[in-house]
Amino acid sequence: MSEPTNPGPAPFDVRPVKKRIWQRLSLVWLVPLVALGISLWAAWQNYADRGTLITISFENASGISAGETTIKYRDVTVGEVEDVEFSEGLTDVLVHARIDKTVAPFLDDDAQFWVVRPDVSIRGITGLETVLSGVFIEGNWDTDADVAQTEFTGLEQPNLTRANQRGIRVVLRADDGGSIAAGAPVLHKGIEVGYLEKPELSFNGRQVVVNAFIESPYDRRITSSTRFWDTSGFSVSFGTGGVSLDVSSLASVIEGGIAFDTVVSGGNPINEGHRFDIFEGEQQARDSLFLDPNAEILEVAVLFEQSVSGLAVGSEVRFQGIRIGEVSDLNAIVVGEATDAQVRLQAVLAIEPSRLGMGGDATVDEALELLSDFVTRGLRARMVTGNILAGTLFVELVEVEDALPAIMTLTSGDFPVIPTTTSEISDVAATAEGLLARINALPVEELMDGAINLMDSFERLANDEYTRATPAALVALLDESRELINSDDVQAIPRDLRDVIGDLDGLVAEANDVGLIANLDSAVVTAGRVAANFELATQNLPKITADIQALTARANELELEALVASATDSLNAIDAFLGTDDAVAFPREANAALSTMRALLDEVREGGAVANVNAALASANQAAKAVEDAVSTLPALAARANQLVTQTEAVVNSYSERSRFSAETLATLRDIQEASDAISSLARTIERNPNSLLIGR
Amino acid sequence: MGIAGQSHSLITARDAGLVACQQCGQVHRLGTRVCKRCEGRLQSRDGESLQKVWAWLIAGMIAYIPANLYPMLLTSTLVERSESTIIGGVVELVEHGSWGIAAIVFIASVMIPVGKFVAIMYLAISVQRHSKDNQHERHKAYEVVEFIGRWSMIDVFVVAILSALVQLDTIATINPGIAAVSFALSVIFTMLSAQAFDSRLIWDADRTRP
Repeated sequence: MSEPTNPGPAPFDVRPVKKRIWQRLSLVWLVPLVALGISLWAAWQNYADRGTLITISFENASGISAGETTIKYRDVTVGEVEDVEFSEGLTDVLVHARIDKTVAPFLDDDAQFWVVRPDVSIRGITGLETVLSGVFIEGNWDTDADVAQTEFTGLEQPNLTRANQRGIRVVLRADDGGSIAAGAPVLHKGIEVGYLEKPELSFNGRQVVVNAFIESPYDRRITSSTRFWDTSGFSVSFGTGGVSLDVSSLASVIEGGIAFDTVVSGGNPINEGHRFDIFEGEQQARDSLFLDPNAEILEVAVLFEQSVSGLAVGSEVRFQGIRIGEVSDLNAIVVGEATDAQVRLQAVLAIEPSRLGMGGDATVDEALELLSDFVTRGLRARMVTGNILAGTLFVELVEVEDALPAIMTLTSGDFPVIPTTTSEISDVAATAEGLLARINALPVEELMDGAINLMDSFERLANDEYTRATPAALVALLDESRELINSDDVQAIPRDLRDVIGDLDGLVAEANDVGLIANLDSAVVTAGRVAANFELATQNLPKITADIQALTARANELELEALVASATDSLNAIDAFLGTDDAVAFPREANAALSTMRALLDEVREGGAVANVNAALASANQAAKAVEDAVSTLPALAARANQLVTQTEAVVNSYSERSRFSAETLATLRDIQEASDAISSLARTIERNPNSLLIGR
Repeated sequence: MGIAGQSHSLITARDAGLVACQQCGQVHRLGTRVCKRCEGRLQSRDGESLQKVWAWLIAGMIAYIPANLYPMLLTSTLVERSESTIIGGVVELVEHGSWGIAAIVFIASVMIPVGKFVAIMYLAISVQRHSKDNQHERHKAYEVVEFIGRWSMIDVFVVAILSALVQLDTIATINPGIAAVSFALSVIFTMLSAQAFDSRLIWDADRTRP
């Protein structure tokens, strides 16, 4: 306790010696160091691995979203979109994306990017996975690392060809791209061996150029002699070979398509990007196979005098039926000078020497020499109808046997000229025209005139006062006959006759001796024959009627020309018949005959014959002894009377059929009238509408 | 004497020549190395406490950076694949109108960890400066930090449970992201940091600075 009183050394501020800083450091510091190290390493790793930033510009970025849309290469994700923004001026959408470092070096100038969206087409559904997962950007580039780029322009349409795909890409040219669509199949013998890429206009805007990719191993089928043609839709062509219908696969019907074939061997292998033309159809393609575009062409001219309508540039030129070239130009030129000048239509024929059978290396001069030789032997050019319906023509070189001597004019004009011969053109228009012309030429009007004349004649006949008078005269005749018969005198005749017969009995014996009976008999027979003749004559009228009826029937059903000719003839004949004086005179004569008859009867009645008979009988009675004189006159009288009666009877009989005759005549006239009407209506119809002959209505 | 100066206030165990076992609370004479009862190491003061605090705290903060940058959940369903970070998830929840859940996630995953960082830094700095202010409050703050630290793991648990439950192959799959691990590490580091803090240092300010 002394310490407080004895101040000793001041209490020490005992503190431990400060350790050096590393000695004081706790091991726990390793923890944050490790954490920091790991973090930094991870950050570095992340930074180093994050890939190359590229920028793709699209016209529209529908469906692309930052952080979600991936970039795929051959269906493997190789990157991701980081940002989407507009370029300056809002012209494009810039898509910034990170591409894996391993892939980035391959992104050279052939890299292409496009947005994969669902696509439904006739050939199937693609990009279906994007319906759920959203769109993605597909990239395509080859496996050669070139100068890597970071700025790209995205395609609006998917590129169909993988850069690494094995095959060959050729360039196809067509005049019209209407039937070419991107993705359309390229067919070879009906199977799909490739496809078309997007068609584009050529540089000069005249043609459509489209890349076609032919997959391996089919690309080996393509040589320089391969021809491509359009198989889109179906084609109906009127060629010189008639109608041909080509239908390819259903897909190509709707989407279009291109087919190719290599018909002849010997083509040279082609390089990538070889140019081919697309022909309209398989036929043209095959035809063109023999048209070597590089071959020398012999151009000769043909001067036609007549119209060359139907001939066109590209029309075939055939020699003995084989195509040897085509028409390359058509124009009109003036031949001759001054007053002799004439316009000729010049067709320039492009002929391939090799097609003339002269071998592949034939020169133009050799071919010209050959043609010239042929011409002196009778080779001539002419136009021939290729197809009647289409009216197309082609030029044919034929050997005319009896041709006038001619030679090829080699010097005058631009081209050597092949002389022509008569062309064989028969086109449908001309044929139809000819038919119409013939119908026009038919004597329809004459026929009508004839028919009208016939009607007039009939009418005149019917209206003739004599014809009208005929029945009246007949009735009068009958009345008078009846009167005559009923007259006491005639009534008395039997009685008298009986007396006479009584007397005659005696006489008969006598007469037998003198041959009177035989005479009488023969007189009666004669009378009968005369009557029969008259009847026959009258019966001919119905027959004419029947003829006319038959004619009408035929006219109704017959072919036009025959009908017209026949009807015209008949009508003319009838007209002629009716027009003759005889026909006109017939009623008059008949009337006259009847008048005569009546006069005769009058005579008979009024004391002529009857009185004479009576008187004669009386005389006979009174002068039996004078009978011998009378006997000689009696048979003639009896015969005359008998004949008259018979004739009258015949006439009456024949005219008892008058009603039927008239009816038939009238019916005939009506038929003819109808026939005429029908013909006239037909004629009018044809005149109005000549087509009806062709189309049947 | 210093002791006399302190007489009006409280006396520390160290002043009394005693040292308490941190584990079992047994009091020993100062200078004893090992606890007689639990054989725990006896230290009147941990001289390396602040170093540990700082070390663990920095490690926790480092781990907290990727926890926020990288996705916490990898959700892939039939139609889409989404990755959500902590903040992204909160924003998404807010956009969906789930304010409550968003608040919970935000508090548990952002506010608490960040609050812990700040609190521990404040404590450590104040001890280093021998600050005598708010000693009671600081002690309370330390208690709260230590208690609340474990709740930060709620996020990690959610991720772990979801990942375990939602494994329906192509239809829907949830996988933990790198952030889940980082976040768990961050929480663990900060908890260790809090534990490494020797709260007795708060009260030494009076002593070491006469």
